[in-house]
Amino acid sequence: MRRIGTILAGLFCLAALAAHAAHTQVQLILSADPAQPGDTIWVGVDMKMEPDWHTYWKNPGAAGLATKIEWDLPPGVTAGEIQWPLPEKLPPVEVTTYGYNDEVVLLVPLKLDADLPRGPLDLKAKVSWLECKEQCVPGSAEVAATLNVGTETKPSDDAATIELWKSKTPQTNNGLSFSAWWAKPPDGDTRSLFIGSQPKKTDKNLKYDAVDFFPYASDDFEVQAATEILSADSANFRLSKVVKKYSGDWPKEISGVMVMEIGNLRTGFEVKLPVSDQAPVGAQAPGSEAVSAAPTTLPAAIAAAPALPAQPLWRMLLYAFIGGLILNIMPCVLPVIALKILGFVGESRSDPRHVRTLGLVYALGVLVSFLALAAVIIGVKAAGRHAGWGMQFGSPVFVVCLTTLVTLVALNLFGVFEVTLGGRALGTAGGLASKHGAPGAFFNGVLATALATPCTAPFLSIALGFAFAQKAPVIVLMFLAVGTGLAAPYVALSWNPAWLKFLPKPGAWMEKFKIAMGFPMLATAVWLFDLAAGSYGKSVLWLGIFLVIVAFAAWIFGEFVQRGRARKGLALVIVLILLVGGYAFALENQLQWRQPMTAPDATGSLKESADGIDWQRWSPEAVAAAQAAGQPVLVDFTADWCLTCQVNKKTSIEIPAVRARLKSLNAVALLGDYTRFPDNITTELNRFNRAGVPLVLIYPKDPAASPMVLPEILTPGIVLAALDRANR
Amino acid sequence: MRLIITFMKTTLALFTALTLASAALAVEVGKPAPDFTGTDINGKTIKLSDYKGKIVVIESYNSDCPFCHNQYATGATQDLQKELAAKGVVWLMVNSVNPNNFSHRTPEQARQEWTSEKIAATAWIDDSSGAIGHLYDMKTTPHTFVIDKNGVLVYDGAMDNQPDPSHDPRTARNYVREAVDALLAGKPVEVSQTKPYGCGVKYAD
Repeated sequence: MRRIGTILAGLFCLAALAAHAAHTQVQLILSADPAQPGDTIWVGVDMKMEPDWHTYWKNPGAAGLATKIEWDLPPGVTAGEIQWPLPEKLPPVEVTTYGYNDEVVLLVPLKLDADLPRGPLDLKAKVSWLECKEQCVPGSAEVAATLNVGTETKPSDDAATIELWKSKTPQTNNGLSFSAWWAKPPDGDTRSLFIGSQPKKTDKNLKYDAVDFFPYASDDFEVQAATEILSADSANFRLSKVVKKYSGDWPKEISGVMVMEIGNLRTGFEVKLPVSDQAPVGAQAPGSEAVSAAPTTLPAAIAAAPALPAQPLWRMLLYAFIGGLILNIMPCVLPVIALKILGFVGESRSDPRHVRTLGLVYALGVLVSFLALAAVIIGVKAAGRHAGWGMQFGSPVFVVCLTTLVTLVALNLFGVFEVTLGGRALGTAGGLASKHGAPGAFFNGVLATALATPCTAPFLSIALGFAFAQKAPVIVLMFLAVGTGLAAPYVALSWNPAWLKFLPKPGAWMEKFKIAMGFPMLATAVWLFDLAAGSYGKSVLWLGIFLVIVAFAAWIFGEFVQRGRARKGLALVIVLILLVGGYAFALENQLQWRQPMTAPDATGSLKESADGIDWQRWSPEAVAAAQAAGQPVLVDFTADWCLTCQVNKKTSIEIPAVRARLKSLNAVALLGDYTRFPDNITTELNRFNRAGVPLVLIYPKDPAASPMVLPEILTPGIVLAALDRANR
Repeated sequence: MRLIITFMKTTLALFTALTLASAALAVEVGKPAPDFTGTDINGKTIKLSDYKGKIVVIESYNSDCPFCHNQYATGATQDLQKELAAKGVVWLMVNSVNPNNFSHRTPEQARQEWTSEKIAATAWIDDSSGAIGHLYDMKTTPHTFVIDKNGVLVYDGAMDNQPDPSHDPRTARNYVREAVDALLAGKPVEVSQTKPYGCGVKYAD
């Protein structure tokens, strides 16, 4: 019995063993298991070649043979076309071929019919290929995998591998545009062809380290492998290829993959280009209105990040406006909305002219704040430093002030004290509902802006990315557009109070609503407090004590100064003593709030959880040390207040696939904390022409190679692909 | 300094001249096929122009290449060689594998292969220098050429339309036979150029 067991186990092992033939090992991997009927999953033919052996792309080039997959699938399962990862150009020059060294995963979409019965499915394929080193050997293998069809879809263990190779396949929609035209009349059977990028859609500051065109095969002609780069100093490049005709007319269209390389990152775009007889209009002139961007960063399109091609200013202003509008419903600004709603309810019955004025004053508060922000950013830029959205949150002093302010706003909403801006005392319950002073409205505008800045919204990130790279007048315009968007709903409402009819009439509910709205404000205060904790460590306790003293003072102020009957003067003195004493003792003496701690110098691990990435603190020396040891390096410049950084970390960095890849590559992970704008990181960011975080770099294992700059918005595929390249 | 400029000028002129010369020599269908002289595996001198008046087939050859191997292992090419020889056609095999490559054949090894594979060509030219291969811009093994009785190149490309190292070549459309038959029948060659397939020719680096 045991022997039978052993034999069976052996058989299973054999079945599980990847088919091995000659110098290439092949196995089938699945993106999902189990999967549900109706799903389309990816199946990968994973080919591992022995060192120096290669297999071929769909167009093998001057010699070689494309790998073939013949499927043997159960009914109800349909295989689509092979998605080919970008190949390499393989020597020798006189017989250039396109193929893969080391490993390739050919990807095929597998469609499962909706009425597929549940249960295990045997997926089989016969893979045949030509493998070459100094000689060529045909190989073939029967490979199989079992897919369980069930009631749920789960990524398989190989999902990350498939994701990685998917990121190496050419993209179809790129936002870049290319054209092809004949360079001159035919010379016998050969004819020169130009392929150029359209200047208007590209970034004039972008430098490609290499551009090439890998053609698809045709029976009637061949686009030869040799590529002459005519101009590649910008994204507006042009290259020349030779077309050799075998039969028929000169091709009217060529198809293939445009391959672009920046640093060690290579991306392909599938193209089908009509070949015209003349150069396209404007092909000679470099784009004049192109967006200026950092020369070493990838174009947005290359990294599948939101596109940031050259855009007309009006469109960017529109984005800024829409972004500002959306900011209103982002969590940062939400608490201020509560204030505004209360204000409107109260105002809805007063003089319409007054209401309009208040709406405009609120807008003015927002716009003035945005102008101030713009001025700061222009100033910072003029001082040779790089500015960033939300950069004021890097200043602990600002954070302490804002925490105090927001705490006070929350206390005010709780009714602990009233705000008497503009000399108009707001009475108790109905007070807020009566008349909002103009300074109150203005203050609301300022508060909305101050709270809005750590949030970015859809559209806003694109607009800001554009704005930060511009000259002063454009920055001002862009910021005003965001401010206008933020203020627009209130201005519109204040000019059309009739729209507010859906709101209930002022009454006792407002008092309850006001108190309820104090809680989101309190939550904001807690978030700010947490930010402050980063700058003050354990001493942040003293900020808490200060806030309690302030709260106590606010209560005495409200209860005995504003609402009290006698000894108002004494109460006011006590309030002042509390505030001054609390400030002097808690903030100045204990917290030493104007001298926040510098980042601890300890070099220990910054691991977030037991199985998390083993982050070490970033320093130029740490990078150099790891490179000297021949290790690839992942650097994440991040900040607590940078929401994009946090999203990147959650979705694409601190994830099992990346952890595993870092481990298997023996890579070093370095964390650069930009929460408090340390100078050495500012310098490093400047070196990469970045306005701020996020900045994620991957240094290849080869110390001579330049680091890869990952796009601002990451996907797991981008990170894994870059890590993979770093190991070359 | 002047010396350097002179040197550069000379180099440039030489380079231009060489480029022009090679362009003039380049193989092109419809033009005279460039002449060459080589030594076959029996030490005999083979000169293309000696075969003027006869139809000549040139085939780049490397039997370690699965595509060539398939052509010969199935006997398809030997059959074609015999068939065309009966019609008075000359068949020259050109082996341009460099001497450092595993697939290189010494004349003795080549003679053994000739016998064991029952090769029926006119001659097997040892082109380990790659001179003839480069002259004809041979890309792959097999890469075939057909030259008419006047020495004009009439076909340049693949042996057949089946770029596959495992199927029987006799089921494929053989472009060499087609071209030769057209010439013999006095008709124009229908397919005069195709993309050669196969393994890259193993030239010296």
